[in-house]
Amino acid sequence: MIPKRSRWVLGGIVSAALVALVCVPLFELARGAVVDRTVDFGEIVGSGELTEPVRNTILSALAVTALATAIATAAALFIERGSLGLRSWLRAGVILPLLIPPFVSALSWASAYGPGGLLDDVVGVSVPGLFGPLGVVAVITVNVVPLAYLVVASAIATRGDIDLELAARVAGAKQVTVLRTVTLPAILPAVVGAAALTFVVAINAFGIPAVLGTPAGFPTVTTRIYQDLALSADSRAFARVLVLAVLLVLVTLVTVGATSRHTNDRRRPLHRVETPSALPRTAGRRQRVVAAAVAAYVVASSLLPLLALVLMALTRAVGLSPTPGNWTMANFSEAFAAGSWRSLGNSVLLAAEAATIVLLLAAALIVVASRRATSQLGTLVTLTFAVPGSALAVAVFLAYGSWLRGSLTLILVAYLAKFWALGHRPLAGAVTAIPPDLVRAARVSGAPPVTVIRTVLAPMLKPALLAGWLLVFLFGLHELTMSILLYGPRSSTLAVVALNLQQLGDPTVTAALAVALTLLVLFAAAPLALVWRSWNKMGTR
Amino acid sequence: MSTSRGALECRGVSVKYGSVQVLDRLDLTVDEGEIVAVLGPSGSGKTSLLAAIAGFVPLESGEIWINGALAGSVDSAQPPESRSVSMVFQNYALWPHLSALENVAYPLRRAGVEKADARREASRLLDRLSIGELAVRFPSELSGGQQQRVGLARALARAPSVYLFDEPTAHLDAVLRTLLQEELLDRTRESRAAALYASHDPDEALAVADRVALLRDGRIIQIGQPRQVYESPIDEWAARLTGEADLFAVEVASRDGADLTIRLGDVEMAVDGGGTPDARSVAAVVRPEWASLGGPLVGDVHRVRYLGARTLILLDTAYGRVWVAGANDQTPRVGDRVEWSLDRVWLIAR
Repeated sequence: MIPKRSRWVLGGIVSAALVALVCVPLFELARGAVVDRTVDFGEIVGSGELTEPVRNTILSALAVTALATAIATAAALFIERGSLGLRSWLRAGVILPLLIPPFVSALSWASAYGPGGLLDDVVGVSVPGLFGPLGVVAVITVNVVPLAYLVVASAIATRGDIDLELAARVAGAKQVTVLRTVTLPAILPAVVGAAALTFVVAINAFGIPAVLGTPAGFPTVTTRIYQDLALSADSRAFARVLVLAVLLVLVTLVTVGATSRHTNDRRRPLHRVETPSALPRTAGRRQRVVAAAVAAYVVASSLLPLLALVLMALTRAVGLSPTPGNWTMANFSEAFAAGSWRSLGNSVLLAAEAATIVLLLAAALIVVASRRATSQLGTLVTLTFAVPGSALAVAVFLAYGSWLRGSLTLILVAYLAKFWALGHRPLAGAVTAIPPDLVRAARVSGAPPVTVIRTVLAPMLKPALLAGWLLVFLFGLHELTMSILLYGPRSSTLAVVALNLQQLGDPTVTAALAVALTLLVLFAAAPLALVWRSWNKMGTR
Repeated sequence: MSTSRGALECRGVSVKYGSVQVLDRLDLTVDEGEIVAVLGPSGSGKTSLLAAIAGFVPLESGEIWINGALAGSVDSAQPPESRSVSMVFQNYALWPHLSALENVAYPLRRAGVEKADARREASRLLDRLSIGELAVRFPSELSGGQQQRVGLARALARAPSVYLFDEPTAHLDAVLRTLLQEELLDRTRESRAAALYASHDPDEALAVADRVALLRDGRIIQIGQPRQVYESPIDEWAARLTGEADLFAVEVASRDGADLTIRLGDVEMAVDGGGTPDARSVAAVVRPEWASLGGPLVGDVHRVRYLGARTLILLDTAYGRVWVAGANDQTPRVGDRVEWSLDRVWLIAR
């Protein structure tokens, strides 16, 4: 429905972007790892020096997957099926960690439950093993539960037709039987999808193992890549980086490939459920117990650690108790003394650029491609999102490092490749949700294609455009994994500065910077909450 | 290339979706001020026909003429916005981000009417459909019937040469359906435009249209006035599509103009009616009101269906089941043995 010439131009831009952002880097990575054999890879793999990080990564990712999928599924079943009054609060509580940069979560847990932390200070208890595998698994779990929750909850909304359960009840099934025979099978594809997502994100995790694992001598693939690439210059270290990066990509692709068959099944619901249920639901005793449990989880996993982090940022020195008498703003001024303003500027600029370009590319892709091609290209774009940040950064570095080294543009390229999916998904979803008849109605009302875009599609897509932009912007603000591998003297981001400070061992100033970063993210996320509310409203009207 | 007759003319129109032939060399002419119903089961190509006329799908062959101008052919197709057509959709297709008033004003704005004038005209149209007070509401705040009235108002606002109604009442309940049909007929007649009304419901199609076209597998197999297609179906499929019909294998005993004597089993009787075939062994189509209680035949009452204006009685007979019209005041009971007769038949080939 778009004039042919502009179609070609747009198509050219989109294809060029896909090639430059996805194909070239991944090709360079594969070439670097497989073809240019400057170092003997078989020898590196055989030497066993990679065994420990690989084993740590796989085992912790599996543990995270099991825990997070179980927590998210249980929470989604209880909350989405719970009483309407509490639902939005509980939901917000569970999803909250999505807005907190992962390494900030790790810092906040350390300041709440670590030795010398808030809990230690108040009741004299610190959680043993917080630094090490247990802490890494716990904090990653808390961080990925929101993603898994969103996947399962949306499946409950679209597939968990309450009438199907009522039909099972009147067919003679007990509530537990209904759960086992109707509800869980209906959402099973989503649970599998959530597990795959969780696994991929857990393998991806860098900030959390960097803060909680590295000090305890618990290396993972991502932290080893960081150490080998950023802290060492010898060619053997670089060869290890390539091997690990390729390994990450392969594990990810295998995971996604193996589970995609389960998530696209033919047993989809016959119709999309539009009205959640006509039956009133009451807040019974069980509901209150569940609500209390969820609330306790939210407090222990997010709120208390964040409080501890804020107190740490306000306290004059480590070891002092966080009482008002010891409060100071000095940590904040120190945090922003040495060039952090420029890093803040870099973070905001990169995030905004990435968000804008991603949205333009996503829109162009959807306009140009047919529905089927859109979904296929969408898969490609989504796969790139699944490619671990560490590996993607290495790939981008290999492809463009020689002429963009140390520049913001190099980081931007990595952001675009990684976050394209974040902009594509909401937009593509919103476009598919528009019935074709709405476009046809506009055409027979006398509107040429461009007018249809202006008067019908654009207004209807506004929430999705805004949501996609904000999502990319948020992820850009708290991106650490790729930035820390690609930054140069003039292109550090706020997250990079914070992690470097943490490595130098200045907890209070690090806390101040982390708090500042979190406030920035929360501030940017506020409009997202509004968009979400208007979406919920649209669903109910 | 001759000029076209009528407000809408389809000449040999074929449409393919992939390898599926959805319209097959279809010919149809609709005159100014005429309403033609397209009656067919789902999958027969009703919606595709409307889509082809509106210009939503390309033609594989044939031509579509609207108001004497070539609107679409294989080589050149006017885009939908350049054709003088309006469409009322089964799912209403109101734009959710626009109020009722803005939805109706939309075609006027596209036609270059100033905003204030467009709103005034839209408001007048809504008033005429007695939903003026809903102007500020959004589609999500309207009931199905109200939404479809807005959809109708939007179609009227375009003042087209051809109206396309794609099962506009399919999602409405019986009362609303009749009301909306009336509204739609009145407005269409006033406008003197041609209208094509797709439906799968024979009662609706026969009630609204000047002519009814029966659509099967993308072809019009019969077209005529409602009474014609109901009383003189060309075959069994057409008979069953257009209403309740029972078929009997009969022998034509004698035929002299309209005087027809048929033999059903070993009973010979004189009946009204006619039919095309010249053969002796034919099938007789019987509408419920063409059979009545009392007469030379016997049957057992299997079911009694009280319909208010009339009562239908389903009989088990030696020749098969048959619906017979009964009087409301003397209805037999299920299981009774009754006498019945054929008053009229329509003969088709067997």
